[in-house]
Amino acid sequence: MGTRKWLLYALLGLAGLVTVVPLLYMLSLSLQTEAETLSANAVLVPESPQWGNYAELFTRAPFGNFIVNSLIVAGVITLAHLLFDPLVGYVFAKFRFPLRNTLFVALLATLMVPFFVRMIPLYVLMANMGWLNTYQGLITPFLMDAFGIFLMRQFIQPIPDDLINAARIDGASELRIYRSVILPQTRPALAVLGLFTFVFQWNEFLWPLVATTTAEMRTIPVGLTLFNQEYFTLWHLTAAGSVILFVPTAVLFVCTQRYFVRGIALTGLK
Amino acid sequence: MRSRTLYGRYARTAYLFLLPAILFFAAFFYLPIGNVVATSFRTGPMADQWAGLGNYTQALADPAVRHSFLVTVGFSAMVVAGSIVIGLALALAIDQPLRGRVVFRVLLLVPYLTSVAIVGLLWRNILDPELGVLNRALGAIGLPEQQWLNTAPLLTIAAVTLWQSVGYTMVLFLAGLQGIPETYHEAARIDGADAWHRFWRITLPLLAPTTLFVSVMAVISGLQAFGQAYIITNGGPGDATDLSVFHIFNVAFRTRDFGYSSAQSVLLLMVIVAFTVVQLRAGRRGEVTY
Repeated sequence: MGTRKWLLYALLGLAGLVTVVPLLYMLSLSLQTEAETLSANAVLVPESPQWGNYAELFTRAPFGNFIVNSLIVAGVITLAHLLFDPLVGYVFAKFRFPLRNTLFVALLATLMVPFFVRMIPLYVLMANMGWLNTYQGLITPFLMDAFGIFLMRQFIQPIPDDLINAARIDGASELRIYRSVILPQTRPALAVLGLFTFVFQWNEFLWPLVATTTAEMRTIPVGLTLFNQEYFTLWHLTAAGSVILFVPTAVLFVCTQRYFVRGIALTGLK
Repeated sequence: MRSRTLYGRYARTAYLFLLPAILFFAAFFYLPIGNVVATSFRTGPMADQWAGLGNYTQALADPAVRHSFLVTVGFSAMVVAGSIVIGLALALAIDQPLRGRVVFRVLLLVPYLTSVAIVGLLWRNILDPELGVLNRALGAIGLPEQQWLNTAPLLTIAAVTLWQSVGYTMVLFLAGLQGIPETYHEAARIDGADAWHRFWRITLPLLAPTTLFVSVMAVISGLQAFGQAYIITNGGPGDATDLSVFHIFNVAFRTRDFGYSSAQSVLLLMVIVAFTVVQLRAGRRGEVTY
């Protein structure tokens, strides 16, 4: 009993350290002086924390723009998912109509299409519409996805038809039924959907890299990476930017980790 | 008669509700997929000259394309093996009635929800052969310096990828473990099976669907990895970490050859679909019901 338990704690403790130490080092790095980041004797705890690094980041790069852009892009996409995914999921869960199965298969087939396949034609499309380097260009390719719709359909399916029919007999309009009967029951699923969508869009890297051409339009992950390529020795500033990018998702996750764990376990969400 | 009109009315409502989705998936999925295939048969700086299968035959014979494909397969293989072995080991440990397991579970999931930009930049800083903190720390205490990004670059970026993703596979395995009925373990225990045999004869076979799912997801995400090469290694040293999507990105947006890069992305898509189908087939054969 005793030794086995200690072995398990040792394994988990090791994994925990490997996870946490690099992240703590990122925080430490963000508070070091430039000299400390380069000194031959690696500095793990800065002598006096340089909070000014965070301010300097905003003068060296349009970091305020990055933050606003990230909030707008991830926020609008999340709202769109919360608006459309349950509606479409509801239709596939509860309505019979011509071509239903064909449309559903066509929808699920899009799950097999990785983003890199759409990357080049979307770039050409956006270039032709003049949407490169705009919010529309960053947002529209991700307004919905089959995954969210499928998740909502699975969640709505067990809601009894009688509930819907009763509302119909009472004379409720179809939109009213959706809003007042279906939507309130999907709240737990909507929470999972909203959290995942926001976090993944906040972190998205490839499309904002392809679809932006000026620093002012970049989101944080892309702005930070290109900043690092330009000023590759200013690691304290790169780390400060990383902390800014990291904190919102980390806080969101720690506060709502039950939803995340259940979401992953239930659906294998990616 | 009445039911038919009702059916018609519901169908109208259904299509009304579906309209935005139909337009969206047509414009942002099916149109681009059609376009990438169409572009893959064309050549020239504007991708407006018919090339037939030219881009495809060129890609299949191009040593750089072949090399980057092999690099990508090797990278994916390492990510799959690590996801299964490490993810399962952590899940088995965390499945025990230990105090503080929730904290570990949360902690190990944090990197999964972190942007590849953070992961890439952080590990590049740690591992950089000259400026990296690891070498500066090793040097300060008189230990030999590491050159992993030069000597084993692919293994190193696979390890960084696992650092980010293994918490996710752990949660998947944990859900699988908790789905195995306790009675099987009890029965085996009564029959005198030790923990080692219970793991190989009960846990592992009954986990097969989870293992299959984990390996399918790891292959799919491994084959389309991009940020690791773009941020950490820039494909190097030389072309040692020239992952396929990074290669395609460079052909499309640095060389500006949309025809050639489109053909390569269609080929990579076909590979991913083929891998997935083979894995699912193989998995179905070994399926267990209980």
